Amino acid sequence: MLTVCPYFHVHQPYRIKRYRVFDIGHDNEYFNDSSETDLNNRRIVEKVANKSYRPMNAVLLGLLEEHPEFRFALSFSGTVLDQFEAYAPDVLASFQEIVATGRVEILADTYHHSLAFFYSVPEFERQVAQHAKRIYELFGQTPRVFRNTELSYRNDLAKWCEDNGYLGIMAEGWDPILGWRSPNHVYHPPGCDKIKVLLKNYKLSDDVAFRFSNKAWESHPLSAETYSQWIHAHHGDGNTINLFMDYETFGEHQWEDTGIFNFIKALPELLMRHPDTTFKTPTETVESYDSVGEIDVPDVLTWADTDRDLTAWTGNDIQKDAIASIYAMEKDVIETEDMDLIEVWRKLQTSDHFYYMCTKWSEDGDVHAYFSPYESPYDAYVAFMNALSDLQLRVRHAVEKKQQHKGEKLKKPEKSVSFVQRLKQWFRWLVKKVLFLIHFRK
Amino acid sequence: MKVLTFGWDFPPHTTGGLGVACQGLTRELANEGVEVIFVLPKSQSVEGTSRFIFADIEHMVRTREITSSIAPYLGSQSVLDVYDEYGVRKLYQNTLLEEVHAFAHKASQIAKEETFDLIHAHDWTSYLAGVAAKLASGKPLILHVHATAFDQAASDNIDPGVFKIEKEAFDTADRIIAVSDFTKQIVVNKYNIDPSKVHVVHNGIDTKEPKHYEPTLQELRAQGKKLILYHGRITIQKGVDYFVQAAQKVVAHNPDVVFVISGKGDMVGQIMQQVGRLGLSQNVLFAGALWYEERDQMYQSVDLVVMPSVSEPFGLVPLEAIQHGTPSLISKQSGVAEVVTHVLKVDFWDVDEMANKILAALRYPVMHGQLVKEGKREVSKLPWSRAARKVVDIYKYLVEWIT
Repeated sequence: MLTVCPYFHVHQPYRIKRYRVFDIGHDNEYFNDSSETDLNNRRIVEKVANKSYRPMNAVLLGLLEEHPEFRFALSFSGTVLDQFEAYAPDVLASFQEIVATGRVEILADTYHHSLAFFYSVPEFERQVAQHAKRIYELFGQTPRVFRNTELSYRNDLAKWCEDNGYLGIMAEGWDPILGWRSPNHVYHPPGCDKIKVLLKNYKLSDDVAFRFSNKAWESHPLSAETYSQWIHAHHGDGNTINLFMDYETFGEHQWEDTGIFNFIKALPELLMRHPDTTFKTPTETVESYDSVGEIDVPDVLTWADTDRDLTAWTGNDIQKDAIASIYAMEKDVIETEDMDLIEVWRKLQTSDHFYYMCTKWSEDGDVHAYFSPYESPYDAYVAFMNALSDLQLRVRHAVEKKQQHKGEKLKKPEKSVSFVQRLKQWFRWLVKKVLFLIHFRK
Repeated sequence: MKVLTFGWDFPPHTTGGLGVACQGLTRELANEGVEVIFVLPKSQSVEGTSRFIFADIEHMVRTREITSSIAPYLGSQSVLDVYDEYGVRKLYQNTLLEEVHAFAHKASQIAKEETFDLIHAHDWTSYLAGVAAKLASGKPLILHVHATAFDQAASDNIDPGVFKIEKEAFDTADRIIAVSDFTKQIVVNKYNIDPSKVHVVHNGIDTKEPKHYEPTLQELRAQGKKLILYHGRITIQKGVDYFVQAAQKVVAHNPDVVFVISGKGDMVGQIMQQVGRLGLSQNVLFAGALWYEERDQMYQSVDLVVMPSVSEPFGLVPLEAIQHGTPSLISKQSGVAEVVTHVLKVDFWDVDEMANKILAALRYPVMHGQLVKEGKREVSKLPWSRAARKVVDIYKYLVEWIT
């Protein structure tokens, strides 16, 4: 028996417009570029919807209808869901339709596609809760398997997931971690006895995600027949082939004219021609197989470029500066209890902003260049830091205003306010506080 | 392999990047085993030749002087305006165009006297000399394009005399070397030249740890002023007027920024008037043309160097600046932008963005630090030997297939 466990990751960030030093203190909108460039978020969502989300959802829905055995998982960032709602509500509706088949699992994630776990666990927890709430509202599911931004993974993250009731977590099946072992089994993290780790088979995943249209690749053009043979070849040496990739692989990274849609349309039937092949969702996969051993990842592992670490986001000085600056604001931002400010702060945590500042062009520069809407990593940094500077100003004002307000409140009782009035005030304050907490912790 | 090379100036008597480029390339060609005969017009002081820094390989380089006086950054009708070795201005009646033709006449004679395999002519002032040498000898001709009439004019309003020479020479040449893809596109599109004939060889730079100087403009620094430098000729090509416009926007936001303009040229008066008109006299300093120690000291003392060129075939300034530990903001309309990534880039006409990036470079010290650190590493990967090897490949091909 061989399981095929696919998951597609759907994400769009809120890209920061060319926000200039002069704009600090004058312009509170950072994400509203309306130019004909790739900084225009609406334009990007509309473009990718046409090239990828709409046609691929039609393909997936067709496959689900045609093959009752077909199953897979999706993961969404909250930022892409918000943008679907605003710019392409029909896309969101078609995803809901797909999930409504009952054979599509949604994974847990951070709302803002952030690296918060590595900088602030409390903030990470708030974003995971916010994400779970949104997923439940839109799709009626409570995620049970976790995948972190950029597939970033570490032992302590796995432990956190186990402690918080998740059944499984995803990670890159990277050879230096695995040694002689195969990614096609289920493993467990050290010190954990409940949660299981699903490892991405990066060779088979990247054959589709990266190499599919590469004419210099020896296997180009890749047919669904050949690909299903490669998967079938693993009968006997593993339990599950975990195919993890960006949803946008279909139609956006690999354009329609490469034949990617026909490839995916043909694949499920070809895979199931082998009698012992089956599709499973991640939850079904971790529930079906026992762990074959421990997988020890003390340092951050990701699915990015040849280093499989965080250097694409935090490798150089400007990236480190930007990410340190955003998390240094945490205490003040949260203290404002201003939902708008907190939301903007979180949008600035999206990992893409730091990715755009990556300067290791020479090694895997093409990949970064392809995904960056900025002409230079320094342009990305300047826009980010300028917007951040404005947010810092707003937060400072909000905190000052609050402290002023508090001061006034403290003075009031001296003016012989009646006990009933004070009770009323206290009650109002309590309701506000509770509502705020509910918003995050639900 | 023996190459008859025509140029017009050579360090230390040089007024721009061209002489520096000729020197770096010639030295490395010699290292690659190429014998270079470098022909210079007479007015370029002989004194310069005795100060060639490739003294250790001097036996392979001979310098020939001929009677001519050429100033390369002028239009064809310009009356020559050069300084003698004592700094006294010499005025000639003849136009530059006449000098170019005189140079070509001498070149023809030299080509008959000398034995060589190839001809290599640098910049438009030497093109006719190169063509004449080719006609006299039948040897293959390579033209090295350091700039075109379109760069000098910063528009299509070009000098017809220069254009005519360039066009005829490009048509006659066996190969054309452009110092950037930016320049290659001009040669191909504006002169209608077959792109397969035009090779891009980016200029290099000699990297060595420079001498360190006491910072200049100490008083301003003590007052907490930030310093921004423009260094280059003050002509329409260089975009100094955009620099001043950006300065106005920067000063409106942060009055503690001082802009230093180093250089001379036919637009000095206009730029001074612009500065006065915009009320920037307190924030813009005219330093005159700084060279050698003074220039290096200035590079080391400022926070950022700006190269706002309207049309810059290559652009040595950001590479020089980074060696002195100062990052640059350069216009995208430059060849050097093709080979460096650790600089700030801007369209020369986008003065808002120019001002934004000047302010950002001052505001975010981490970015400033990374631009210096990574920029230095990057520039060390651009030695002249890399350029010379590409030129040698072109030489070899021509010797093998054309002769």
